Amino acid sequence: MKLMTLFTISGLLCLVLVFNYASAFYSDQAAKQEGQQEALMEVAESDESDLPEQQQDLAEEFSLLDSSAKEAQATEEAGIVPATLEIPAIDVTAPVETVGVLENGQMGVPAETKNVGWFEPGFRPGTKGNAVLAGHVDSKTGPAVFYHLEDLQPGDEIVVNNENGESLTFTVQDLTSYPRNEAPIEEIFGNTDGRYLNLITCVGTFDQSAGTHDKRLVVRAELNEESAEPDTEPPAAPENVEISGNFVTWHAVRDENIAGYRVYRSEDDGEFEHVASISEHERKTYTDEEATEHRYYITAVNLAGQESEPSEIAGD
Amino acid sequence: MKRKHAGKKLLAVVMSFALFFPLAQPVLANEESSADTPAAELRSNLDHLLSEHFVLAAISMMTAYDEAGSAESVREQLEQNAQDMTPAIASIYGEENAAEFERIFTEHNTYTDDIVTAAQEDDAAMREEAEAQLDAFVDELAAFLTTATEGNLPEEAAAEAIMLHEEQVLMFFDHYVAGEYQEAYQAFRDGIAHMHMVSKALSTAITTQMPEEFDHTRADTPAADLRSNLNQLAAEHFALGSLGMLKGSTQSADYDFITWAEDQNTKDFKAAIASIYGEEPAAAFQEVWQTDHISAEADLVTATLEEDEEGIQEAKDRLLSTFPADMGAFLAFATDGIISEEAAVESLMTHEQQKIDTFDAYVAGDFQASFKTFREGYEFMYGVGKTLSGAIVTQMPGEFQGEVTMPEEMPKTGLGGMSETSNVPMMTWAVVGSFIFVAGASLFLIYRKTHERE
Repeated sequence: MKLMTLFTISGLLCLVLVFNYASAFYSDQAAKQEGQQEALMEVAESDESDLPEQQQDLAEEFSLLDSSAKEAQATEEAGIVPATLEIPAIDVTAPVETVGVLENGQMGVPAETKNVGWFEPGFRPGTKGNAVLAGHVDSKTGPAVFYHLEDLQPGDEIVVNNENGESLTFTVQDLTSYPRNEAPIEEIFGNTDGRYLNLITCVGTFDQSAGTHDKRLVVRAELNEESAEPDTEPPAAPENVEISGNFVTWHAVRDENIAGYRVYRSEDDGEFEHVASISEHERKTYTDEEATEHRYYITAVNLAGQESEPSEIAGD
Repeated sequence: MKRKHAGKKLLAVVMSFALFFPLAQPVLANEESSADTPAAELRSNLDHLLSEHFVLAAISMMTAYDEAGSAESVREQLEQNAQDMTPAIASIYGEENAAEFERIFTEHNTYTDDIVTAAQEDDAAMREEAEAQLDAFVDELAAFLTTATEGNLPEEAAAEAIMLHEEQVLMFFDHYVAGEYQEAYQAFRDGIAHMHMVSKALSTAITTQMPEEFDHTRADTPAADLRSNLNQLAAEHFALGSLGMLKGSTQSADYDFITWAEDQNTKDFKAAIASIYGEEPAAAFQEVWQTDHISAEADLVTATLEEDEEGIQEAKDRLLSTFPADMGAFLAFATDGIISEEAAVESLMTHEQQKIDTFDAYVAGDFQASFKTFREGYEFMYGVGKTLSGAIVTQMPGEFQGEVTMPEEMPKTGLGGMSETSNVPMMTWAVVGSFIFVAGASLFLIYRKTHERE
């Protein structure tokens, strides 16, 4: 009898706990959906602790400025910052502006109806995730940049170029229209294992009272395998390593993915030892009072953690 | 080694001549071995204004091409530099000539605008036209200078010098645009150096033309050369140091090549110190120069980029107290106290403060204040050149005596009235000759005797 009571009480207790846990879980989920946009922002600004291990070591060794830290976060493939968009099938060539999140939580739109807006807080085209570009279907007076977007067919190509002329090509997978308040935000903006580019514009009928069209068209395109440019090459070795007074200097390696440089110094036994790491944004100089008594070589390290071949050795 | 030997031989020959014909001390020797003469002052002023023109013209074209926020402020200072030349010219050649100079000079600053636009728009025709305008400017200014100096500055030489200056500006700009930064900053250094040559030629022409205005002092004495050389090294240091810090703060691709050029300037500075005080003091100089100065400036940039307040403060402390104290002590020691340690420390603190102010204003986005301070800091270096050269020349006047003016022939100090024949000089030489022969013969005999004894 006593045992029965004990089981009943503990059973009830378990139920209460489960209920508490579940309700917490569900309210979490609800909050997540409400705060989808904020969550998106956080993805873009995630801190070092979210970086893979190698990246974390790198961040400890070199101080990475905001811009380079963001690049590091993009890990294996940095993706590109889009500057222009080309869709040959519907004869579109358009400049890309960056847009963010409006105060009311909506994704911003490009200021010019001939431009396309890249959702900058989200993913870069080419990275793992959903990169998003939006364009107007029409202006107050006529067609705009994405007027013919709905004519696209699976298999059509979309090309994104950055300022330096590097480009990535995506292939259209499918076209889906959603009522304007029922679009699956997570599927369009969120994390995914694929490398997707989603183009958004308005379709359907214009709702005068809401001041907008009643539907949104999403064109989902996937990165073409062959155009992916993984950053697997280690950087070139630094050149012009020189000792002058108590300075060891070298020329920077002009590659945008450099995290910094390692300085190796010869010790008494003739072996070289890693004595310093100099970050990319610093003066490319190692100050050593005994510089003239040692020999040195320098290596460059990229954001993927790859180290270059040693430079030529400087010193007598 | 061989050269030194030859020098000693030559010295021996001169000394033996001096025994026969004691040379009179040149009257102006003391005055000319000063680095602070009216002529040296003129040269130094021209050093300053002309090289500053080059520096600002180069930075102006670069910032205009980059459409940098600072472009307009740099341009203003470039124009201010041109306006500052007018009173300098007026004091020598009068208001009317100065106005004409200003017209020619100010116009040429606008041709470079077209060069920039041509590069931005890849417009070869526009570039060609701008270059033609620059050619015309070179001829016009050369003609003006030749007329003004009454031919003391020959037109061809003037045109060549101005043309080289324009070429260096374009070389800097073109390499910069092409992303060839080492070449660009080599041209930047060459351009500064060349302006100090132009000022030498110009000041020498002016002082030759109107010696009385300059107390008969010369602009091309070794002391004036030393002053100008130190001017150049100090001013170039300021320009590269400050520009490097600004470009570091924006993480521009050329930052690393400005620091490279800065290291070349350090080497030249060290070599200059070595030529005066020897290798060991020069090495000590370099260590002080680099440790809490060049590297502290770089650390200030890094700490600012990393928003590391502690690091910023530490770098500023090194710049404003450690470096002035160490370098002040070095200079006072090297010049045997002719430069007082206290004065040196104060002057070095001013220099570092100017650099920091230029940098801080730039980082804060106040480009006008930044480049105004940049000019003040640049000018300040010509005071450093003056103090340093003055102390060195005072310390070792013999090194800066310069060439002694000597006639090619002895004076005809007799009219022959007291001489019996015109063969007297020959007779004199005969006597001297036999004296030398006798002396030589005796020496030979003594030599043989001593050796026979062995």
